[in-house]
Amino acid sequence: MVQLALPPNARIDKSAGKHYPAPSGARRVRTFRIYRFDPASGQRPRIDRYDLDMEQCGPMVLDALLKIKNEVDATLSLRRSCREGICGSCAMNINGVNTLACTRACEDLGGGDVSIYPLPHMPVVKDLVTDLTTFYAQYAAIKPWLQTRTPAPPDRERLQSKHEQQRIDRPSACILCACCSTSCPSYWWNSERYLGPAALLAAYRWIVDSRDEALGERLDALEDPFRLYRCHTIMNCAEACPKDLNPARAIGAIKQMLADRQH
Amino acid sequence: MAERPLSPHFTVYRWAYTMTLSILHRVSGLALSLALVAFVLWLVAISLGPASYDAFSPALQSWPVRILIALAIIALLYHFANGLRHLAWDMGWGFELRQARASAAVVLIVVAIASIACLVFLFRHGAGA
Repeated sequence: MVQLALPPNARIDKSAGKHYPAPSGARRVRTFRIYRFDPASGQRPRIDRYDLDMEQCGPMVLDALLKIKNEVDATLSLRRSCREGICGSCAMNINGVNTLACTRACEDLGGGDVSIYPLPHMPVVKDLVTDLTTFYAQYAAIKPWLQTRTPAPPDRERLQSKHEQQRIDRPSACILCACCSTSCPSYWWNSERYLGPAALLAAYRWIVDSRDEALGERLDALEDPFRLYRCHTIMNCAEACPKDLNPARAIGAIKQMLADRQH
Repeated sequence: MAERPLSPHFTVYRWAYTMTLSILHRVSGLALSLALVAFVLWLVAISLGPASYDAFSPALQSWPVRILIALAIIALLYHFANGLRHLAWDMGWGFELRQARASAAVVLIVVAIASIACLVFLFRHGAGA
């Protein structure tokens, strides 16, 4: 259901934020306003402000976050791994848009403070770390593996033409960072029942795979007012995707396939 | 251990054309449903004969009602124009981001021009009545 206001325990305590000033002699100071939640404290979430000297900081938002964690405040929690946009761990909301901290340059954020929140409308484990259990369960629900009925050829793999491979090239590039699903208002209001753009893009990837033989079952599983049709083509997903993928188009294609098989 | 708080969403996500056009589509659709009720009441007034129509029509000339009619016209134009955008998507066209941005701009510009034209025409011809 649409619920614009946060539950009481999730509301940010505006009086509680801490401020960490830049070291003296800092020349190019930029303030990072970061969402903090400590489950052990019993306190509500707060916004801490960290003033960094950008002359002493790497270019990406992830560099700034790690500088804070290493040099200013070791209690800051975040996920990160590859720092080059292929693992999807450091997905978060930066200046109002979901993206990967490792591929977003601080300079590209314009002037002013940088606001960093966890992925929207998700349960927060700690600080910028959200609980992605439901998101992963939705991915598993679309059965993201090759399903075949015919026996495999005895002497070779199940081959694809170059064109057939190209159809799954783009959707296979999804890194499951959850930027798209958590940018989608429809997913916010119905995350328990709507699969969301990431899972549906993955569903599309297997639907159009020339080797897969479970097309009917895959479409049956999606023909549901909530799982698929809560997509209202808002397009936040495609705007947010850090890999320049287009879940909205994939969902549109699934809707077309469902319409086409009616007659 | 405290219950996990829900991360901020609506209040922190940067407002963009995507959500704006989507929510306007819903709002205009809802407004048109309500306008349809008023329209049916007007038809009922006509069907009951001149006396009831004469009793009903002065209300249409009042400024609050005129403003509501103007809003209904804008809602109709918007819902129609953006509905065409949705139809195009349903046929698989216009999903590229540059296309979606361009179609959004076209919808808003067309609706603005058509609304002004409609309202100028209506109130110029309606004001003397």
